[in-house]
Amino acid sequence: MTDYMKLSAAAVKEAQKVGADYADARTNLLQTESFGLHNGALENASMGEECGLGLRVLVDGAWGYAATVGTDKSALHEVATRAVNAARALSGARTEPITLSPDDVVSGEYRTPVQEDPFAMSAADKVAFLQEADKGLQGEDCVVARDVNLGNRRERQWFAASNGAEQYQELVRCGAGVSATAAKNGVVERRSFPASFGGDYRAAGFEHVRSMDLVSHARQVRDEAVQLTTAPICEAGTRDLLLMGNQLMLQIHESVGHPNELDRVFGHEVDLAGASFATTDKLGEYQYGSDIVNLVADSTVEGGLDTRGWDDDGVASGRWHVVKDGIFNGYHTSREWAKRIGESTSRSCNRSEGWYNPPIIRITNLSLMPGTWTLDDMIADTEDGVLCDTVKMWSIDQRRLNFQFTTEIGWEIKDGKKGRMVRKPTYQGNTPDFWRSCDAICNESHWQLWGVPNCGKGNPMQVAEMSHGCSPARFRNQSFVV
Amino acid sequence: MALTKNYGLGSESLLDAATELVERAYAQDSIHEAEATVSLTVNSFVRFADTGPTQSAERAKVDVHLRVRREEDGQLYEASATGQSLEEVAMDKLIEQASSIAAISPALETPLELGGHVEVCTGTCDAETLTHGPREKAAAIKRALAAAQAVGASPAGLFDTTGRAVALANTKGRLVRNETSRASFALTVTGPSEGGLGGSGWAETIRSKVGELDIDGTIATAIDKAAIGQERGAVEPGEYTVILEPAAVSSLLLFASYYGFGAKEVAEKSSFLCDRIGTKAFADKLTIHDNWDHPMYQTCSFDGEGSPKRVVPLVDAGVLQNPVTDRRFAVLGGGTADESTGHGEVQPSGDGPSAGCLCVDAGTTSSADLIAGVEHGLLITQFHYTNLIDPREMMLTGMTRNGLFLIENGRIVKPLKNLRFTESLLRAMKRVTDVGSELDISGALFDGEVITPALRIDGFRFTSATDF
Repeated sequence: MTDYMKLSAAAVKEAQKVGADYADARTNLLQTESFGLHNGALENASMGEECGLGLRVLVDGAWGYAATVGTDKSALHEVATRAVNAARALSGARTEPITLSPDDVVSGEYRTPVQEDPFAMSAADKVAFLQEADKGLQGEDCVVARDVNLGNRRERQWFAASNGAEQYQELVRCGAGVSATAAKNGVVERRSFPASFGGDYRAAGFEHVRSMDLVSHARQVRDEAVQLTTAPICEAGTRDLLLMGNQLMLQIHESVGHPNELDRVFGHEVDLAGASFATTDKLGEYQYGSDIVNLVADSTVEGGLDTRGWDDDGVASGRWHVVKDGIFNGYHTSREWAKRIGESTSRSCNRSEGWYNPPIIRITNLSLMPGTWTLDDMIADTEDGVLCDTVKMWSIDQRRLNFQFTTEIGWEIKDGKKGRMVRKPTYQGNTPDFWRSCDAICNESHWQLWGVPNCGKGNPMQVAEMSHGCSPARFRNQSFVV
Repeated sequence: MALTKNYGLGSESLLDAATELVERAYAQDSIHEAEATVSLTVNSFVRFADTGPTQSAERAKVDVHLRVRREEDGQLYEASATGQSLEEVAMDKLIEQASSIAAISPALETPLELGGHVEVCTGTCDAETLTHGPREKAAAIKRALAAAQAVGASPAGLFDTTGRAVALANTKGRLVRNETSRASFALTVTGPSEGGLGGSGWAETIRSKVGELDIDGTIATAIDKAAIGQERGAVEPGEYTVILEPAAVSSLLLFASYYGFGAKEVAEKSSFLCDRIGTKAFADKLTIHDNWDHPMYQTCSFDGEGSPKRVVPLVDAGVLQNPVTDRRFAVLGGGTADESTGHGEVQPSGDGPSAGCLCVDAGTTSSADLIAGVEHGLLITQFHYTNLIDPREMMLTGMTRNGLFLIENGRIVKPLKNLRFTESLLRAMKRVTDVGSELDISGALFDGEVITPALRIDGFRFTSATDF
């Protein structure tokens, strides 16, 4: 047993000694590094390391949580006492005791499969890699901001629970991206590759970043940013909407993932993040999408940012349909929440941001299963539409129904042909109407996992990571607004 | 926690630690300048919902940031590293990490000197806020639960208390430290009328000291906003005169804070200030400052570079003023680095300066008179998930939430189902026709808080509706 696992196990024992009915402890060691070039200058070059322990206890039917930085064993008694005292102080205000589903919580180890360890590569090589990508962004005077980013994270977690289970996980996440912002005549437009807001991330090694071919895509990004400054604004009206994967993934995230979190459904997130229209009376019956829509949650899929051995309840990862053949089929749950819908086992979705935060239900990797179309055929089959690419802006209501999204770029489709570029394509809709209008999904050769490294939920807010796989898809008769 | 036993929340001991880290770094042959920032955060929170307390945490953390520079052949090379420990071994590891990146970094194109000696206010962390625990929070939560249940509604909320100390030291003799505290209690009440999902109300109280929170007033306001038992009407999307309460104003103005009032956005031509500085782009009635030292809520007295935060006029009777700066953008703006307005990030950073403490001057019209002055319009409590479509025009979209009401002939006549707005902040701020006399502080879904009164805006644009 490592010293860190001993620390977690000792924290659990200490908690039991001072009165915990149940306890689990997580010692986390997080290594991060990030590099960022802005207009060719290295504006961000940083390594980080944090380590701490979070102890969760259940006493008299109430949760308590205490966390401390570092690995000082002498702090454990105070940490345990604080957690237990908090639970005792709060239990009197509970209307019903919290109980846990009887999931198997067993010992084991899990490591992200990595071909090229990003932390083994020299910082000099990483900076040189970014500089090479930046070359592709250069050469246009009206490009006022060139950004190239790279980030790596390695999170090690030693989890121990009061049933004796011990789990070790080592999760590696790696990603990069380029973007160019052009300004001309008062118009400012940005293009990004492979995704906006820092790039695309995956549970993988540096091989993921190498596979992106940032240099040649940087040129395309630069040129499109410049072209966008003189492109017309996408007109308002009703047309077919064709979404590329790096926009569709956010649609999955916001209009399927979040409304599917069971704590949100029961109003426990309503104070900040909001509630959900996907109430329990709809489970198993509700027409969430058209019958070609299959959305699968999977915390075992290769490369997913939430692919791991277990969640922070210690429950093993799994795979299930959230929407099956268009019908609403299942929720994201935890040991605390599974019984609320009559399920005896958790879906393994309870996760926290590091040692500092207690776990809450989070979206896991959630993907739209591929269809049968090629992108070319889907375009050729569209009479009047807009092909939209890359997240620019998103907003969705507190029940996850009314949404409005803007993408970085669009192209008009007229009579089966991809036509002129348009800027700021903005569409507004309603979640079930949107998914029910899906009549074409591209095939597996177009399918790709897209990482969301910055999902916020909870209050105080926590950040979690997950991936959404999809291929381009078509949604009939959507409303474009200006 | 053991952490607080070792270091206390005293910023003096953090300054000692930052100084030690700088001295250890500077002792390395490869490091010629160094700057260290050390912060300690002690937090206690309890979340609650219909079943009572649902989650809590008692926690503390240290964050350590080291910025180093090496000099070679007249060129400066810079990098940073972050950690969470003040032990000697950890400090040495941090120095080694930062130094190793500085060794391979490209030379700084326009190096600035680190900031030298300055005097700043050290602030105060309220002792009661720092020691406020779950037992004290449970008492307030029980009152909220009882009040909500008495009207047949479901409560959800957060009671949070935080103490924070921060210190910065560097090799140019800058030694600054500060202590602050923050307490907040927020309650959302959801009525039973629409399957438990519609008819909600919200209120929040935020202050530097927990003893100054108006908890019972917040509970009463949230319940009142939920308009339990009242049927919700519907209005068509379109343009309306609106009274935006402070939380709604806050969620709009925060985007000017994130993307507009900073000098980097101006330099890179993405700010709404571009080509508008010195022009009357907002209504006459609007005067806005960035003010870290507002009596309602005090924030840290210095920025990420240790520069004293100045109170900066951003909008003067509707006329847009110059953006806030950090040391780099103070120089790029034609001044000296020491003329920074004190709005920089911890360096090195790709983020430019930002105005994080927006304060809108109060007007003279009471809340009741604001409503009384509207013939046909909407009262808006809060916006949800506001986001930015276009930074130059500050085009925003978002949803109303937790209390939308129809005003007819100066009276609130009924609660309404929610609407989505799509509106330019510039256009909206130009159409402000009245300013409330009562200030409040509130935030939104993303980071930040604004101190503002309610505003009356004519012709505010809504683009779609919901059925709840």
